[in-house]
Amino acid sequence: MSPSLLKAGLLAATLTAAFVVGWELHWRGQGFPISYNDDESLWASKRRLVYNTSPAGPVLIGASRIKFDLDQPTWRRLTGRQPVQLALVGTSPRPVLANLANDPRFHGTVVVDVVEGIFFSPTGSRQEKRALDRLKAYPKWSLAQQLSFRLDRALESKLVFLDEDRLTLDAFLNNLALPSRPGVFMMPLFPPKFAFNDFDRQTRISAAFVADTAMQHRMQSVWTRLGSTSGKHGDGGDTLTALIQSVKQSVDRIRARGGRVVFVRCPSDGPFWAAEQRGYPRAQYWDRLLADTHTPGVHFADYPALAGFRCLEWSHLTPADAATFTAALIPVLEQQTGWRIATHPVAARGGPGCPVRTAAPAALLPLNH
Amino acid sequence: MVFNSYSFVLFFAVLLVLHNLPLPWKVKKINLLLASYLFYAVWNPPFVLLLWLATAVDFYVARLIAREERPVPRKLLLVISLVMNLGLISFFKYGGFLLENFTALLGAGGIAFHAAKPDLILPVGISFYTFVTLSYTLDVYRRQAPPEKSFLNFALFVTFFPHLVAGPIVRPADLIPQFQAPRRATGEQLGWGLFLLSLGLFMKVTLADGLLAPAADAVFGVPFPVAPLDAWAGVLAFSGQIFCDFAGYSTCAIGVALCLGFVLPDNFRYPYAALGFSDFWRRWHITLSTWLRDYLYIPLGGNRRGSARAYLNLMITMLLGGLWHGASWTFVVWGALHGTFLCAERGVRGWASRRWQPLPAHETAPDASLAPVVYRASLAPPLPGARTLGRLGLVLLTLLLVNVTWVFFRAADFGAAARLLLAMFGLIPDGKPLLTTVDLLKVGGLTVGILAAHWLMRDTSLRQVAARTPWWLLGAGWAAMLVLLVLTQKSSSSFIYFQF
Repeated sequence: MSPSLLKAGLLAATLTAAFVVGWELHWRGQGFPISYNDDESLWASKRRLVYNTSPAGPVLIGASRIKFDLDQPTWRRLTGRQPVQLALVGTSPRPVLANLANDPRFHGTVVVDVVEGIFFSPTGSRQEKRALDRLKAYPKWSLAQQLSFRLDRALESKLVFLDEDRLTLDAFLNNLALPSRPGVFMMPLFPPKFAFNDFDRQTRISAAFVADTAMQHRMQSVWTRLGSTSGKHGDGGDTLTALIQSVKQSVDRIRARGGRVVFVRCPSDGPFWAAEQRGYPRAQYWDRLLADTHTPGVHFADYPALAGFRCLEWSHLTPADAATFTAALIPVLEQQTGWRIATHPVAARGGPGCPVRTAAPAALLPLNH
Repeated sequence: MVFNSYSFVLFFAVLLVLHNLPLPWKVKKINLLLASYLFYAVWNPPFVLLLWLATAVDFYVARLIAREERPVPRKLLLVISLVMNLGLISFFKYGGFLLENFTALLGAGGIAFHAAKPDLILPVGISFYTFVTLSYTLDVYRRQAPPEKSFLNFALFVTFFPHLVAGPIVRPADLIPQFQAPRRATGEQLGWGLFLLSLGLFMKVTLADGLLAPAADAVFGVPFPVAPLDAWAGVLAFSGQIFCDFAGYSTCAIGVALCLGFVLPDNFRYPYAALGFSDFWRRWHITLSTWLRDYLYIPLGGNRRGSARAYLNLMITMLLGGLWHGASWTFVVWGALHGTFLCAERGVRGWASRRWQPLPAHETAPDASLAPVVYRASLAPPLPGARTLGRLGLVLLTLLLVNVTWVFFRAADFGAAARLLLAMFGLIPDGKPLLTTVDLLKVGGLTVGILAAHWLMRDTSLRQVAARTPWWLLGAGWAAMLVLLVLTQKSSSSFIYFQF
């Protein structure tokens, strides 16, 4: 090798190594934890686990709420089984439900998270397309990608800066506070320390976010800018009928193979919850969904053990509340479905913030029944 | 396996170690061959069978062709190879397209015909390795190359992983001789190979995927007309993306091969500084354009059968070149546009040379027929107006027209292409603004950067520039690429040309 090329190569290697070390230390110093990229490969690695699911270890599908609110370690501790988390942030679960319904090998249990504004989004919407993209990628998950996934995860488990959502060149450029052109939609910027993912695709609100009301207000303003507090009405009429019928077809297909489905409405709060009630009146959407699909469902507002949680940014539970919510949800699910889920009688709670205690029948009675 | 993946880093590291162990040359070649099959099989293992089929058939058919003296059996043997190679690619790549058009044709004639659309997965790289094996059989048939005696050498020529899935499309003379004697990368080759690998990954991961793809995907993905600024930004973003993606792959492939001691042909020479379309095709996907020249345009008669036939041959070559890229009419139109621009350029040059000055002696020399196909289109002196208009003006005009052709290349259908073209030229008054300020700055900055780099580099080579650059500056530039690569973090996304 020519001396100049060798020297150039050594300089490049030294500068790059110095940058990587400095970069990692910088983000650790900023308080960023390890967070796994919730990408196609991580999703695919969970999708392949759906064939051994049961009421005690179900498949979870939906949008972000069930990723935050259903605490997998708590579920695992109480049921002895690991749920399979397939929920996708900001997406409708209908394509994933249909995918499971069309998979002849699937005969397990599905817990469907219903966030009305997303669940009832029209066919062909952005929320649906994002889920379809994930589903399209799954059958093409090659051996090479699986090997890369394993190596990638080994690195991600050690290096904070490997975070595609927050710490990439593209994320930094998009975070530049440049004014938008008139008429161009700009995705509002989420607080970088809002939430982090673990390898089981559990998403957790960070301790920094819990402690910082300014960050919470910023997140609330994100929801406002995204229109989540506008109370815009969802589709009705034939569109809604066709949509619910498509869900029913999926549910029926799963049931025909011996599988089970339950809908869950996780808590929301403040103006977000108020807007959801205005835009998607319960009788026209949630109640109709359960009735038309002949499927059990658990709405947080119906049970003292599940109602009354405060969501700091109006839409998701803190990790501590998620653990409490999950422990309380299991007996409610058992009661509503008749399924055996917990390994032992489950501790339930009288309400948010209350100490966990043994399941009390009164706490499980629906509020509106 | 893609170059921009952790699995490739591991694969390549192990292979480099193996290749540098004191093992017999034959063992090293077997290692390379097995590694190449592994490289390919991890996409979809059954498709290795197709690769084996193509390798075995062409190896033995070429041997028989070389032995056979009688014209008819020789032709029959060639037909066997052509049917096998073109049959495979037709079945996997064009089966659905042909069926769709057949159904439409019957429908137009009032015959209702419904056939289940074949649900076939396109074997990755089939268009590339088919051309590699075809070139070998055709060279042997034309007695331009002897048949390779060693099956191992031939199998490695077809399968050698750096070029296997997206080129450069190698010819027997490019690679087979390199397998005949022991080779190991010199220190210079290893160092330069690693530099090229870094540059190729930077182009692919940081520039193409990280900075340009989002704007291109957004503009080409919406079902409504966008504002002229957004339309231009989207097309320029795709223009930069496809160059950085494909030239990035070729640069990686050349770098990886060089690290192992093998030299692959250049595939790109700063195409966005091309002065006209014939120059563009001497600089863009060079190994494809020369393949089309040698195995399609010249056998069709090239420009030896008169002017009208030369135009026709040029159009046929570019139409089939378009179809090679994908089974869709939009690719055919892309090829047709390139053919039309080449014909127009040829016509203008011919007219100008007759009007103002005679052909230079070297342009009319007997060996001029050996010039590249698309180069044939420019077998005339430079446009007389070039000096006055300025080379830069011609470069920008060429680029403008190339960008128009990219619309058909990238758009999902003709409706989308028409919508975008109308928006680009301001014929849709109420197009929607789509891209953010940051997107526009990224596209604008990178477009200017890519054009400036191509303009400055058009008459030189990276190696020459690197040799003139102080080591500390080269090292700093190399480090900047690696740091940006680390910062971009996108890994494992496919290269655009894999789908072809």
